Amino acid sequence: MNPHAKLITTASLILGTTITITSNHWAMAWTGLEINTIAIIPMISKSHHPRAIEATIKYFLVQAAASASILFSSLINAWSTGQWDITQLTNPTSCLLLTAAIAMKLGLVPFHFWFPEVLQGSSLTTALLLSTAMKFPPITILLLTSNSLNPPLLTLMAVASAALGGWTGLNQTQLRKILAFSSISHLGWMTIIIIYAPKLTLLTFLLYTLLTSAIFLSLNTSHTTKLSTLMTSWTKTPMLNATLMLILLSLAGLPPFIGFLPKWLIIQELTKQEMTSTALTLALLSLLSLFFYLRLAYSSSITLPPNSTNQTKHWYTNKNANPLIAILTSLSILLLPLSPLILPTI
Amino acid sequence: MTYFMLFLGLCFVLGGLAVASNPSPYYGVVGLVLASVVGCGWLLSLGISFVALVLFMVYLGGMLVVFVYSVALAADPFPETWGDWRVLGYGVGLVGVLVAGVVVSGVGEYMKLGVWTVDSGGAVFVRLDFSGVAMFYSWGVGMFLVAGWGLLLTLFVVLELVRGLSCGAIRAV
Repeated sequence: MNPHAKLITTASLILGTTITITSNHWAMAWTGLEINTIAIIPMISKSHHPRAIEATIKYFLVQAAASASILFSSLINAWSTGQWDITQLTNPTSCLLLTAAIAMKLGLVPFHFWFPEVLQGSSLTTALLLSTAMKFPPITILLLTSNSLNPPLLTLMAVASAALGGWTGLNQTQLRKILAFSSISHLGWMTIIIIYAPKLTLLTFLLYTLLTSAIFLSLNTSHTTKLSTLMTSWTKTPMLNATLMLILLSLAGLPPFIGFLPKWLIIQELTKQEMTSTALTLALLSLLSLFFYLRLAYSSSITLPPNSTNQTKHWYTNKNANPLIAILTSLSILLLPLSPLILPTI
Repeated sequence: MTYFMLFLGLCFVLGGLAVASNPSPYYGVVGLVLASVVGCGWLLSLGISFVALVLFMVYLGGMLVVFVYSVALAADPFPETWGDWRVLGYGVGLVGVLVAGVVVSGVGEYMKLGVWTVDSGGAVFVRLDFSGVAMFYSWGVGMFLVAGWGLLLTLFVVLELVRGLSCGAIRAV
């Protein structure tokens, strides 16, 4: 992309995110969200491929509709209460509309259809941005308005997200779509607990960002986008595939890794709130996503492909591996022993 | 006078409906003209003349004209419009959604709230719309800069999207 355009879009993404996160007036929150939406459009359509353009259009339409709904919800609240404070949203219609609008922004279940297609149409680094950085402002708004959201709708959307994220991800072979469905099911875990313990939502989101960044950057190094390419990518970067397996198991929520911490704390909090059946349902539904994470781990490290590879390891050494991968991978795998430091602050 | 206001409101919604239900943007923009003219009328009824004037000149006289010129470059010779049964279905569906929304959200009960006209304000001796714009340049300068940057960003993004003439998937004339 043109360096000037890249500078403008990157700077605007940072500006938009900062504006939304630091806002306490609804107009500023909305402005930041709109700036983010507009600024990421050239990045999604960077390759000018018809699929990328289609992904751009879908992203823009859904996000614009969601931003408009957020604006309408704040307007209805301002009309009935006379103030625009983000934390003081009290009108019931506003709360309902805001819950639905944030769900549309994030990709929670009835409004998740755009997410896999948008991720599939963008490059791996843009998909990383869409899954992590672009979710940060809506999650912040969710945290700020956590006692103004509509609990039955939120619980329904969260459980449905965990279910559909797992089930529809089962038949996928394209890695970006699989990671989209993993994002949807993680969002389900994040939103089930927002009303009871918002800090757990923040913890889940931050750890999800860490793990997803590690995965996307590792996949970007070997340019793998499908399951079949993943099977033969061990020849390019053998160590990276081995660590990819461990990061995937961490994302699935298996105990020796950090991905286990949010699931454990959320189940504990749900049990304290006497929602044991919800906790059980969520835990069982995350088994579905465990299946496709295991399939990815299987393809990347555990098995060899049925076709022959010409040699054991590729001869060329110009692997443009991002140095960030080393940091993110180490954190994703080894951070669980630090959980006693996190627990008192929850 | 109340019925005139109600008529203006109805025309606003119908204009929006015309924009949304028309398969061709060249005829849909007529609905946009209707909606913005009627919106101006509504603002005038509240006494907000300055903002109405700005809306008329900048929106209709600036942006809509530019839109018409740019689509005149890329118009298809026989655009489809109303007269197709499918469009009637869109229209009915959109009106139904609107009615359902008003009923479900209970916005109808807010019609009883009074409306502040632009001359009210107690100790403030200037009109609210002028002083609002002045506020935009003094206390609200941060928002002004952000809004200005947002608009400039939209321009840059559109230029970036249509860059490359016919090399990309978006055809630029």
